[in-house]
Amino acid sequence: METSIPKISTVLKTLLRADFTTQWRNRRAVILTLIVPVIILALWKPLVREISGPFVLSNSITLGLIATGLMGYSNAIARDRDKGIFQRLRVAPISSWSIMTSRLLVQMAMILMITTAVFVVGNSYDQVTLTPAGYAVTYLSALVGGALYLGLGQMIVGRIQNPETVNSTVRLVYFLFVMGGMLGQFYHNAEFQNAVKWSPYGTVRTILASGMEPAKWNNDSSMALLVTLGYALVCAVLGIKWFKWNTK
Amino acid sequence: MTADNILTVDGLSVSYGKFNAVQNVSFSVRKGEIFGLLGPNGAGKTSTLSAVEGLLKPQAGTIVVDGNDAASKPLHARASLGVQLQSTSFQNELFVIEVLQLYAGIYGVPASKNDLMATLREINLEDSAMKKFGELSGGQQQRVSLVIATIHNPRLVLLDEPTTGLDPQSRRQLWERIEAIRERGHAVLLTTHSMEEAESVCDRIAIIDHGRVIAIDTPQGMIDKHKSDPEVIAVSRRGRITLEDVFIALTGKAIRS
Ligand SMILES: Nc1ncnc2c1ncn2[C@@H]1O[C@H](COP(=O)(O)OP(=O)(O)O)[C@@H](O)[C@H]1O
Ligand SMILES: [Mg+2]
Repeated sequence: METSIPKISTVLKTLLRADFTTQWRNRRAVILTLIVPVIILALWKPLVREISGPFVLSNSITLGLIATGLMGYSNAIARDRDKGIFQRLRVAPISSWSIMTSRLLVQMAMILMITTAVFVVGNSYDQVTLTPAGYAVTYLSALVGGALYLGLGQMIVGRIQNPETVNSTVRLVYFLFVMGGMLGQFYHNAEFQNAVKWSPYGTVRTILASGMEPAKWNNDSSMALLVTLGYALVCAVLGIKWFKWNTK
Repeated sequence: MTADNILTVDGLSVSYGKFNAVQNVSFSVRKGEIFGLLGPNGAGKTSTLSAVEGLLKPQAGTIVVDGNDAASKPLHARASLGVQLQSTSFQNELFVIEVLQLYAGIYGVPASKNDLMATLREINLEDSAMKKFGELSGGQQQRVSLVIATIHNPRLVLLDEPTTGLDPQSRRQLWERIEAIRERGHAVLLTTHSMEEAESVCDRIAIIDHGRVIAIDTPQGMIDKHKSDPEVIAVSRRGRITLEDVFIALTGKAIRS
């Protein structure tokens, strides 16, 4: 009879396959997270000339990342936890981190996909083209920024058990990001703009925009990167500390 | 602990905050036996199993599964366990066959899709391979989760209230399946609040109430031991002593379900 522990590579491969299949079957929800970024690319086309291409694209990607971390990740975790799916997985001879790693890798893929979608639409509709280095650094920035919002999503599912409450909370937080972060950039008040700039919205947008033009990367960009990493770390640590695998 | 024990639980205590759900519970399951934890709702059956499964950390006590200490070698302990939780669900986006592939993979069972289809055929669910778990009937869901619990040929199978909510016919079928699991050499630890179930499928039972084990014996042994107790005779009806009479006399009440 079997008493051997399965190989970690087999476990991760199996979990990834199941999680990617699940994500694929939920593709309608994934497409919904792309709607707001695409609307921005469409409506803000004039701003490409008035402000800059990176400004438009970075806002679009930021909102996509927020939707992924909050709507995509949190909701899926809250729902599966409530149904006892994690508990069943956890009685298998696998470590808990492998369950979460697989989930997070799927979200990383989503982040890269959203970024790619924004690049494609930004290029064909808004005629924004970046250098190869610009594309590469922006992908990296997107992963870092995405980690922040995944951490935030983790915090929300750490604090709130009920999936319905999680759902309404992430919608509210998303709305706050849109109103305070995205639209806040146009509110002419120096203090407010400064607050937005260093908020979890602004720092991610900054590293994305700076990543698109690596040659113009400056002190503010580096500072924004550090602050983003700080936010991500705090959110992730608290989110993991608070997290419970079951809702009972 | 003897070499014949596949599971030894010794002095187990589990609390939720200040509430002690399981207090100093000890029992062992021998190789190839069906052992029942019999007790009313809230007795602490699921909490006891959760500690064995490693889902919660006990306040005190030791748990040894197939020679592996559950606290120090959790993965080894869990590798010897097949589990069916009381309330569980599988990803509803996945088809039944995909759920089987998932669990074969994370238990390290090298089974091809054809092997797993054959497994589904054995439980008459071949036609449901491409259905979602949520689309199956209660009895069909039970069969799938039982198959998953035994997919890696574990030494010990834990079943938490496996027949609750099933119609009488499915219940009897499930008892046969559980007995078949034993025939194949596995030990089974199941929980139930049904006297009938305890009497008809379990080789030995532990009566558990308010987080404590009150008695451990074979169903018949328990009846024989207590059949002359005045309390048991007082609650018995129609002159025949049943397990239920013993249970009521020992716990001071009828089973709450
Ligand atoms: N997560 C939990 N938090 C607090 N109390 C719990 C929790 N789980 C179970 N309990 C309590 O512990 C006791 C035993 O529960 P449980 O082990 O589920 O009993 P059983 O499976 O025998 O019905 C019950 O009183 C129940 O209310
Ligand atoms: Mg229970």
